[in-house]
Amino acid sequence: MTPTAKTAKTVGDEVDEATPAARGPVTGRVARVIGPVVDIEFPADAIPDIYHALTTEIDLSSQGEDEGVLHMTLEVAQHLGDNMVRAVALKPTDGLVRGATVTDTGKPISVPVGDVTKGHVFNVTGEVLNAEEGEKIEITETWPIHRKPPAFDQLESKTSMFETGIKVIDLLTPYVQGGKIGLFGGAGVGKTVLIQEMIYRVANNHNGVSVFAGVGERTREGNDLIEEMTDSGVIKQTALVFGQMDEPPGTRLRVALSALTMAEYFRDVQKQDVLLFIDNIFRFTQAGSEVSTLLGRMPSAVGYQPNLADEMGQLQERITSTRGHSITSLQAIYVPADDYTDPAPATTFAHLDATTELSREIASKGLYPAVDPLTSTSRILDPRYVGKDHYEVANQVKSILQRNKELQDIIAILGVDELSEEDKIIVARARKIQQFLSQNTYMATQFTSVPGSTVPLSETIEAFKGLVNGEYDHIAEQAFFNIGGLEDLDKAWNRIQKEIG
Amino acid sequence: MSGKQREYRGRIRSTQSLKKIFRAMELIAASRIGKARQRLGESAPYTRAIQRAISSVAYHSHTDHPLTSDRDDTNRVAVLVITADRGMAGAYSANVIREAERLRERLEANGKEVVQYASGRRAVSYYRFRNRELAAEWDDGSDSPKFERAIEIADTLYDAFSAAPEDGGVSEIHVVYTRFNSMVNQEPWVIRMLPIEIVEGVSEPSAEVTPLYDFEPSAEEVLDSLLPRYIRARIFTCLLQAAASELANRQRAMNTAVTNAEDIIRQYTRLANSARQAEITQEISEIVSGADALAAGS
Repeated sequence: MTPTAKTAKTVGDEVDEATPAARGPVTGRVARVIGPVVDIEFPADAIPDIYHALTTEIDLSSQGEDEGVLHMTLEVAQHLGDNMVRAVALKPTDGLVRGATVTDTGKPISVPVGDVTKGHVFNVTGEVLNAEEGEKIEITETWPIHRKPPAFDQLESKTSMFETGIKVIDLLTPYVQGGKIGLFGGAGVGKTVLIQEMIYRVANNHNGVSVFAGVGERTREGNDLIEEMTDSGVIKQTALVFGQMDEPPGTRLRVALSALTMAEYFRDVQKQDVLLFIDNIFRFTQAGSEVSTLLGRMPSAVGYQPNLADEMGQLQERITSTRGHSITSLQAIYVPADDYTDPAPATTFAHLDATTELSREIASKGLYPAVDPLTSTSRILDPRYVGKDHYEVANQVKSILQRNKELQDIIAILGVDELSEEDKIIVARARKIQQFLSQNTYMATQFTSVPGSTVPLSETIEAFKGLVNGEYDHIAEQAFFNIGGLEDLDKAWNRIQKEIG
Repeated sequence: MSGKQREYRGRIRSTQSLKKIFRAMELIAASRIGKARQRLGESAPYTRAIQRAISSVAYHSHTDHPLTSDRDDTNRVAVLVITADRGMAGAYSANVIREAERLRERLEANGKEVVQYASGRRAVSYYRFRNRELAAEWDDGSDSPKFERAIEIADTLYDAFSAAPEDGGVSEIHVVYTRFNSMVNQEPWVIRMLPIEIVEGVSEPSAEVTPLYDFEPSAEEVLDSLLPRYIRARIFTCLLQAAASELANRQRAMNTAVTNAEDIIRQYTRLANSARQAEITQEISEIVSGADALAAGS
């Protein structure tokens, strides 16, 4: 089945059969409220389907707030038997009482799609958050957020590289056009900054649309992003969907799907190339784990939901490119306690084409972007895709860094003088490579007052080739720090020589 | 989680075996250094005596012997570097080589051409790696030098010094080695062996007693046979000094290495313990919450 507008209609038709329109909206009653999970009783012949959206209203005046009524959406997660369904609330359930009336909308949560989404900010249920006063937004089409992934024969089989202008990424973890890219990292190593840097670099020069999903991250960062996009004008080509960390788990669990649905429309109906940014996919897993036990599932390893891999698979399999039309996605993935063996990041790994791991050790040396050159990989770092030259240089760089890492223990115990002559040179070159892998970024301009740089891939390869072959052995290590290409290197070296005299 | 623990345990194990090696090296160096100091002390009287004799001859004879006067027919100078054969002695060899490179720069700045001689495998590999030519090289036995080796080195240098310019003769001979001042203090040291410049251990003859020297058959011949002995003795002393310094450096370096290894082991033990504790806590909380969830569900 092709996931086009037609599919959406088919789903709608099925819905109509299940709940004949003639009977009017089906209503049920709240039977139990356990935090974000609500049990609702429905008439025996009109139980709403799994994933269907339910609505209810909470009277806020009784809580002493001036707002009148809170409209709340819930999503059916389980059928419990005895006419009961278990639903996950997408708003806080404070004030919801037993016996409150719940209405079945007869269809899954649906969000607006199409040109109308560009330039706007949405929440998980597709409400516009940044509408100006009096602005009328005409929603022509809505799609349900639960959809099938494209069929096998629809998938894009071509592979080409996606240049970013960041040396360490282009050289060691080349991104795939229309691929899935993960940015892994612990707390505070620069995931969000790198995502924003990528938005600045690629979204600005991209002639298709971009979709940004803010999942469970800081609200302030979301605001900053909107401001920045408005300033640069990219917002006109971007749809943003936010469900940040102040939202209940139900919202954080579904907001990525809402954004993805908008991206799918651009890909399938408008036949465009789409950039999808998700910050942070771990919060999606976390939200799932928050409601999992309340839904009555037995916790699995490290307390995660037992259907962790399934949940992740359902989301990830939809983020894909079909013939000729791509969704290139960049996902930030938080790594709890810097432990990559944690089930959440470990499950995500398998889905990605390129993984960029950010390391605390490198960040603590002040080298940004703090990409770990040894653990970051890409599917296309292969001579068939990137060419022999690129592949060999990347491997040489990695082997020098690997050797340097092995020597660190010896240096720590015996001192650097004990190394053989060859190893001393490897250590010196490795240190230069480490410095040269840092780069001045556009997002860091406000901290370092050094404007960002974009280095073409060919220059990156040439520079690192020279570095591993010892052409720059005479240049001091400091000259390699926080610069772009070879021209910057010359400049930095001249400046340092002048300072030393 | 368990992956981390395993990694830490592995590192602790490997560092522990390294530590054992270092401790053994330290003890070996400590046991050998006594012998090395003894040999150094025993060689001192002879060297002193021959030095006194040489200086007296040079002072009292007024002959222009080639070995005592500057030679200006060639700008080639010989530099002998004495290092250790093995590493594990901290910066010992590196310091000597650095001093030698400084000397080389100084000489080249004065328009000289340096002919490099090297004793000890570390020095040999240093120059080899840089593709620099070595006129001669000696290795093995850097920590217990034999007198035969000293003769070999001294004769090679002496031959170069007495050779004609077109046969690769040199105008000066410098030796870079590590002087053994005491157990805790050794320093890289440069001496110019030939032509003899400073005459050590000679006191200005006092005014009243002026010893009279009479050379048989002639001052030149005495110098000719005395100088090779003198050079051999000097070279042997340098080798002994270097050997004692090497062992003292090795003992110190290995001591530091053992301490560093212990630090690393302690650090990794802490990390391994906390990883283990985290794993236990994790498992307990998983079991308890799982049981709770099941109890609540029923």
